Amino acid sequence: MIRLRVALARLRGFLARRKGELRIQEEIESHLAMLASEFQRRGLSPREARLAARREFGGAAQIREEWRRVRGLPWIETLARDVAYALRQLRRNPAFAAAAILTLALGIGANTAIYQVLYAVVFRPLPVTEPGRLVQVELAQNGQPQHFSYPLFRELEARQNALDGMFAVSEFPLRQATLRGRGLAKAVHGALVTGDYFRVLGVTARLGRVFTKQDDRTSAPLAVISDRFWEAEFERSPAVLGQTLEINRVVATIIGVAPRGFFGETLGQTPDVWMPMSLQPRLMPADYLNAPYFTWLAVIGRLRPDVPVRRAQAALDALYQRNANLSVRTAGPPTRLQLRPASRGIDELRHFADPLYVLMAIAGLVLLIASSNLANLLLSRAAARTHEIGVRLAVGAGRGRLLRQLLTESFVLSAIGAALALWFARWGSRMLVVLARQQIALEPGWGAVAFTAAVAIGVTCLFGIAPALAATRVDLHTALRAGRRGGYPPGRGGRRQFLRKSLVVVQVSVSLLLVFSAGLLVRTLSNLRRQNFGFQPDRILQVGLPLEISAWRHNAALADPLREKISALPGVRVTALSAFGPMADFQQTGFFAAPGRPAQESDAARMVHVSPGYFHIMARIVAGRGFTAEDRQGATPVAVLSQTAARKLFSQDDPVGKFVSYSKQFERRQQLLVAGVAHDVHFAPRDPYGFIVYVPLAQNPAPVTEIEVRAAGDPAAIAAIVRSAIQSAAPNLRIGEIRTLSDAIDAGLIQERMMAWLSAAFGALALLLTFVGVYGVIGYAVERRIPEIGIRLALGARRGQISSLILKDVSLSLGVSLLVGGAASVAAGRALKNLLFGIGSVDGTLAGAALSIAAVSLAAAYLPARRGARLDPTEALREE
Amino acid sequence: MSVVILLSMDNTNGSRGEVPYGTLDLMVLKTLDSMGPLHGYGIARRIEQVSQGGLALNQGTIYPALLRLEQHGWITSDWGISENKRRARFYSISAAGRRQLAAETENWSRAVAMVSRLLEGQS
Repeated sequence: MIRLRVALARLRGFLARRKGELRIQEEIESHLAMLASEFQRRGLSPREARLAARREFGGAAQIREEWRRVRGLPWIETLARDVAYALRQLRRNPAFAAAAILTLALGIGANTAIYQVLYAVVFRPLPVTEPGRLVQVELAQNGQPQHFSYPLFRELEARQNALDGMFAVSEFPLRQATLRGRGLAKAVHGALVTGDYFRVLGVTARLGRVFTKQDDRTSAPLAVISDRFWEAEFERSPAVLGQTLEINRVVATIIGVAPRGFFGETLGQTPDVWMPMSLQPRLMPADYLNAPYFTWLAVIGRLRPDVPVRRAQAALDALYQRNANLSVRTAGPPTRLQLRPASRGIDELRHFADPLYVLMAIAGLVLLIASSNLANLLLSRAAARTHEIGVRLAVGAGRGRLLRQLLTESFVLSAIGAALALWFARWGSRMLVVLARQQIALEPGWGAVAFTAAVAIGVTCLFGIAPALAATRVDLHTALRAGRRGGYPPGRGGRRQFLRKSLVVVQVSVSLLLVFSAGLLVRTLSNLRRQNFGFQPDRILQVGLPLEISAWRHNAALADPLREKISALPGVRVTALSAFGPMADFQQTGFFAAPGRPAQESDAARMVHVSPGYFHIMARIVAGRGFTAEDRQGATPVAVLSQTAARKLFSQDDPVGKFVSYSKQFERRQQLLVAGVAHDVHFAPRDPYGFIVYVPLAQNPAPVTEIEVRAAGDPAAIAAIVRSAIQSAAPNLRIGEIRTLSDAIDAGLIQERMMAWLSAAFGALALLLTFVGVYGVIGYAVERRIPEIGIRLALGARRGQISSLILKDVSLSLGVSLLVGGAASVAAGRALKNLLFGIGSVDGTLAGAALSIAAVSLAAAYLPARRGARLDPTEALREE
Repeated sequence: MSVVILLSMDNTNGSRGEVPYGTLDLMVLKTLDSMGPLHGYGIARRIEQVSQGGLALNQGTIYPALLRLEQHGWITSDWGISENKRRARFYSISAAGRRQLAAETENWSRAVAMVSRLLEGQS
């Protein structure tokens, strides 16, 4: 209480400084007057009395100073003076200030930008009420989490009382839903949720209302839309309530808008619209709600404050074991129900965290290089200010006071840099999310500000303390003799040179590490793009047809007319339709067995439905035959195996003419005759050659998800006419992207490209900073040695000897750096292993990186060395 | 009351003692308690009289101490007119100041008693 009162009094005193000054002035004067008249009364002359009064009173200036110290907030006043002084110093050196501030802003900004994304991906809790009490309810068999069926969920929800509510959610039916009636048919991202969804999350509508259990029970066609969708589609009009959306042919009424920043329960998803679970049968061709064999739901619950998680889990597991018949029972170890903390929601971005950590590390190292550059700059400035500092020490400034002053200058630089960094980070983080094509809701918050401040303080300590210590460790005598121009005191110079050289070693070795890592990531990207895919990516055009589950049958009927229409276009060689094929968004996995060879989990078998012509475009036939129009409904069911599938199912035998079946054990009733073997293809850039079984689209109806076109010339040139041909044949069909397979491959390498580009950019920045750093240090060293060089030249040294003298010094530092950086690089190469592809040995990359670093450092050193060698001996000696 | 008292600046004279640590505030409070409202000069005079010249008090040092006491809420101050018709700032003790004075007096007597017992016991 007393402390607070004193602090407030001091604050008041600080704010009313001028009034306080007047008061103490008047008090002192009146005191002196009273004292003087007392002395006069004792018989002194007026003049003597005044002098005696002053003696008795004590030093008025000191008293006033002490009084001020008690009155206000002296540290603020000192700080304000220091900051003002620092700003004056910076204004006097605008080039230095601009360079330092820009370096800091970019360096810190890059770190903050990556941190913001990393925070959203790895650390941020869901923006809902008390996220700490959310748990994901999982069925785990052998540690493998399984999804819930709807009947099982319904039973658990109705009977449990261990949790304060639970909900089920699935985005699978509506992930690529089609919105019609608002202009052209377009994609909309929706989620199906059970009635308690919003109540359990504790989220209320920002406009209108959210669903309740009652809405779900009555299968009311309702929709709650996201804030983003509200803005994009309705321009935030309050009249949105009551309007309808036609989604997958269900007309739903909008009843509410979710709060801004709410993105549902799954990290990495940003649904536009939430709809009640009970609408599922109307949105999809099959009814999942009464099917215990469809496991497709994620379940989240809210812990009750009075039931610990362990007890809730035991109660729910017991309940599950009694109702396990309401879900698929697979052979093997028993399935258990478990609760997992879900304060951050369901995480679909885990794969993105690793690259972000690597980028964070890279950005941190670049900042380290930048701060050692700054430290070097400050050391040079300290040398130039030796005289000024000497004078201030000589007139009685304490070393501590000077240190504080110098550090204040560093902090002022950092503070300005950090403010700019926050601004850079704002668009930097957005750019990163766009580059990564991720659905991440970023929100600038105090977290980013705190992070930036922490980094700025850390960096300031890194680059500010050593130069400040060095600057104030001056010998007064030499400092004052050095003259105003600034000089290079010989006595302490050795220590500073050592500091500078260490900084250079840090810079060069960290640069090596960064350039090497960038090399690995760039090579990874190039390896992934240039591998043999099994088809010719640049000759083939692929049309994506978003999977419209509600329109399966409709799509199948379109297949033949579409193919005919496109095949007739000029410039088109062959056209084929396929479902769930390579380089597309969807895949169908399953089990294939041959007689005597049951399916294995490790096969990772995929089934691709194709039309005739497919094997002339994608995987070419290497044995037997492909499909023809004869392979239709009612004819012998046939299949084509990929080379990998053939080898796994039949090892060395010729599979053509043998049988496989779509089941775990071979079943004669479901057998398919192997008509041929197709060349291996990669399903996706990072996939190995796959176990693929091709079946005719005509015998196995499926929604067509891609159209492949082999062009006579440049496939990109016919994209437009292919699109209009499809549109005229099927006006209501939603067309996804039309692109060459090269572009499709690139689209699958977004993360790799982001890593390659950003690491290369940071590597280049590191090289640039290193060049500047080495140039600065060697330049300074040469300048310091001008008199020595003059003497050497006067005594007959050749110019070549002078430059090699300087370069020898550099080579030593460089050698040490390459050793340190090389060792660090080898370790980094190992740490990066998971992100790399097709890189056998890192030696070549390391050698290349070391060479480029050596070249840059020597070039940076050569310029000042040459200047040193070209000195005129007379001029040089005059300097002394 | 953990306050450092500015020590006398001309304390070369061995016969005059320094102001013991922390006691100036106590003396000021006591003076105001017994004398009623006083200006800085009056307080300094009074302390000098009571110490009978045994204290090396620069009269000016009273002002930072007065400010500190005022910040603690133990004394209040206001402008008034001195006996020789000058404007002067008059200080008076507050209720909180009286409580503080009582507590400090108690502390002080206890400390003195303890030290005396200790010294007597040793001799």
